[in-house]
Amino acid sequence: MLSPERRPSVAERRPHFLSFSSQNGCPLVVPHLAGIEDPLPESTPDKVDVLIVGTGMVESVLAAALSWQGSNVLHIDKNDHYGDTSATMTVDQTKKWVKEVNDGKFSNCYTNAKLYVSAIIGSGDRGFSSRDFGLDLAPKILFAKSDLLSILVKSRVHQYLEFQSLSSFHTYENDSFEKLTNTKQEIFTNQNLPLMTKRNLMKFIKFVLNWEEQPDVWESYAERPICEMLIEKFKLERPQVFELMFSIGLCYNMSAKTPEVLQRIRRYLSSFDVYGPFAVLYSKYGGPGELSQGFCRSAAVGGATYKLNESLASFDPSTKTATFEDGSKVTVSEKLVISPTQAPKYSQNIPEQKYEIHRLTCVVGKSCEEWFSEGESAAVVVFPPGSLKSGNQNVVQAFILGPGSEVCPQETSVWYLSTTEQGPRAEMDLDAALEAMETSIVRESSSDLENDESIVQFGPNGETMINSVKLGQSFKEYIPRERLQFLLKLYYTQYTSTPPFSVVDPSFFDINDENSKKLITGASDNGVLYTAMPSAEISYDEVVTAAKLLYEKIVGSDDDFFDLDFGDDDDVPIHNANYENAIEDDDDDEDNDVDMNFDVNRQGTTELVGEMEI
Amino acid sequence: MNSGITSIKLVLLGEAAVGKSSIVLRFVSNDFTENKEPTIGAAFLTQRVNIGEQTVKFEIWDTAGQERFASLAPMYYRNAQAALVVYDITKPQSFIKARHWVKELHEQASKGIIIALVGNKVDIVSSGGERKVAREEAEKLAEEEGLLFFETSAKTGENVNEVFLGIGEKIPLGRPDEQSGLQNGGVRITDDQRIDLASTGSGAVAASGCNC
Ligand SMILES: Nc1nc2c(ncn2[C@@H]2O[C@H](COP(=O)(O)OP(=O)(O)OP(=O)(O)O)[C@@H](O)[C@H]2O)c(=O)[nH]1
Ligand SMILES: [Mg+2]
Repeated sequence: MLSPERRPSVAERRPHFLSFSSQNGCPLVVPHLAGIEDPLPESTPDKVDVLIVGTGMVESVLAAALSWQGSNVLHIDKNDHYGDTSATMTVDQTKKWVKEVNDGKFSNCYTNAKLYVSAIIGSGDRGFSSRDFGLDLAPKILFAKSDLLSILVKSRVHQYLEFQSLSSFHTYENDSFEKLTNTKQEIFTNQNLPLMTKRNLMKFIKFVLNWEEQPDVWESYAERPICEMLIEKFKLERPQVFELMFSIGLCYNMSAKTPEVLQRIRRYLSSFDVYGPFAVLYSKYGGPGELSQGFCRSAAVGGATYKLNESLASFDPSTKTATFEDGSKVTVSEKLVISPTQAPKYSQNIPEQKYEIHRLTCVVGKSCEEWFSEGESAAVVVFPPGSLKSGNQNVVQAFILGPGSEVCPQETSVWYLSTTEQGPRAEMDLDAALEAMETSIVRESSSDLENDESIVQFGPNGETMINSVKLGQSFKEYIPRERLQFLLKLYYTQYTSTPPFSVVDPSFFDINDENSKKLITGASDNGVLYTAMPSAEISYDEVVTAAKLLYEKIVGSDDDFFDLDFGDDDDVPIHNANYENAIEDDDDDEDNDVDMNFDVNRQGTTELVGEMEI
Repeated sequence: MNSGITSIKLVLLGEAAVGKSSIVLRFVSNDFTENKEPTIGAAFLTQRVNIGEQTVKFEIWDTAGQERFASLAPMYYRNAQAALVVYDITKPQSFIKARHWVKELHEQASKGIIIALVGNKVDIVSSGGERKVAREEAEKLAEEEGLLFFETSAKTGENVNEVFLGIGEKIPLGRPDEQSGLQNGGVRITDDQRIDLASTGSGAVAASGCNC
């Protein structure tokens, strides 16, 4: 029935207000005052092109892309909030989520959630309210040069959001936090680096910016860990190797293969100085949860219908009818896309989630400016293999957000720790990293804070002790030592089908294609497309790839994925800066050296301007 | 020359078909500043208004239908400095809904938000149609909740500009801390450490005073 050729898009097949100019691959022109002239229908439509279940990042980007392309989209979520696997949650929402995890409501996408909440949160008078916090289920950072960032600008979703810079990356070594020498000429002015090392480092950076064209350098290392190449070929020392692999490359362990690490190191370096002297941004008020909301709003403006608190009960592929828990039905003419966490009861087609990601989220009673660069409110700390007491074989990554990010009140911060270590070792690694962070911040800051006294527990067996209980012996291991006050601690295991270092594989979406697989009798989810759970990746890098693959599956081609033209004067500058003009001197900031010693962004020319004037 | 531009995020709330979008259309299509071109993106409508020395730039967020099934995102309310709660004076149900939205705003939105209660479609009454929501009743609600109150017609334009001017006048204008970005050679940094993704180049951040 479906031709293997590119199938006409929904927009092409159906007259629609957006499609008038979309012949021959011209971008869709969004008419003046789009989205506000049509009175909207009173009830949910009874027929849609695409039904999307779950409002996580990938689903939301997909919903926006499809809506702007002209598809009629119904987008639902079983929760009372947006975000699903990418949600940014209040403390109350987190409590509810933990209970659902432990009740087995998430089809094994999450297990073993343990939550400890200080009674200070929600206690009214002296404390904080649940809504003072925005806790991400899958925190992410955004590289300044990335496919998601271009889509954010193209779709203008960035206008809904606020972004801040993150330039502070630390590598934990020998019991201390080494700040990454990445900003400005730090690499070159760093007193501790011998001149030879600087030269070697420069040589490597020059190479990595277009490593693909120099196979002679790396080919013999293609199947080997990159550290061998860094040490043998570039004569780099261990601290630089670790920085390059784990802070700049954000790798998970020593065995990372050369090409994938080169790719990741370049990702960082080419993002540097796109918006300023940093490579990474994050969104205020919460990460992927905010971005999901932004894309959902964009989809709604493009015509999608939104309904929270709605769950799918089943899908009948022969009649293309989706039935909801409340008994209502909708005919889905194109495709039904579901997040695995929102699979209907009696599902039998949920893809296997083989890989564990262990996460630990803490809210602590210190704002942790010590770790941030001046004027910023965030930092990344990585714990390389072997750097922790637990003898960790995999990296622990920590992403720290202070009050300036508006995800927590003054004098507090949120710490997100995660590891790709599998099994029971993972929690030991997380605890060891937490202890190292705690010791460090207590040492670095001097102010006194009282100990937390009462804790509410939500146990792994689903028991909830709503009332404050004194921190008893049974929770002894969680007693904060020293003087760092923990307002909240949340452990959980997340599962994903995406292995470390990968983005979702195209074949993933064939698994449950009605054309390639016979239907399972009695299953409520035959013929649906499942999205992938977020991977361990701390950046947003997989999101666009996954959304595009799904888009292509539905529309037939990804040619017009966010091919939008808003048709007004306020044109969005092409996301490709002119670096000569980029540095417009602004008077009283003279000491803010704007001369970059290396212009990493000029991809073609590897000429490094103004080298090491030390 | 020295008068800055103050941006005001304004959100619309109200039952379906009360005329929210019509009010905005009337407002942004009206020629009452030198900047008559309204900007439309997928994001929101903007309109500049001169109030005395000041230019106020309204960023107007329409619900895009997400409120229909109680699915507005927190993002919608976030940092909104003003809200229009619109009802239709010929539809009592829409006034009940307006009460609900006022309550919702007090719970969800920032503390200092300025709310205007707007009874729309007065032209229907002027032309002999039946009024179903008494002016006094709405005035009472406005009084109790500290709201601005207007009766408007998006159709004739009656009182529409007054709604926005009324809000503009209540907003503390031109606070110097909000102006820093604009005085720095037009670099688009609105406040603190915010980065505009549509303007690349390291100059953008140098202005934030970020000294990293
Ligand atoms: N007579 C009269 N009709 C109006 C007025 N304002 C809006 N309308 C009509 O009311 C209907 C709904 O107006 P919209 O502006 O779409 O209302 P809305 O509140 O944006 O509706 P939704 O976006 O669907 O929630 C349209 O048919 C308008 O023409 C008015 O002041 N007087
Ligand atoms: Mg409308």
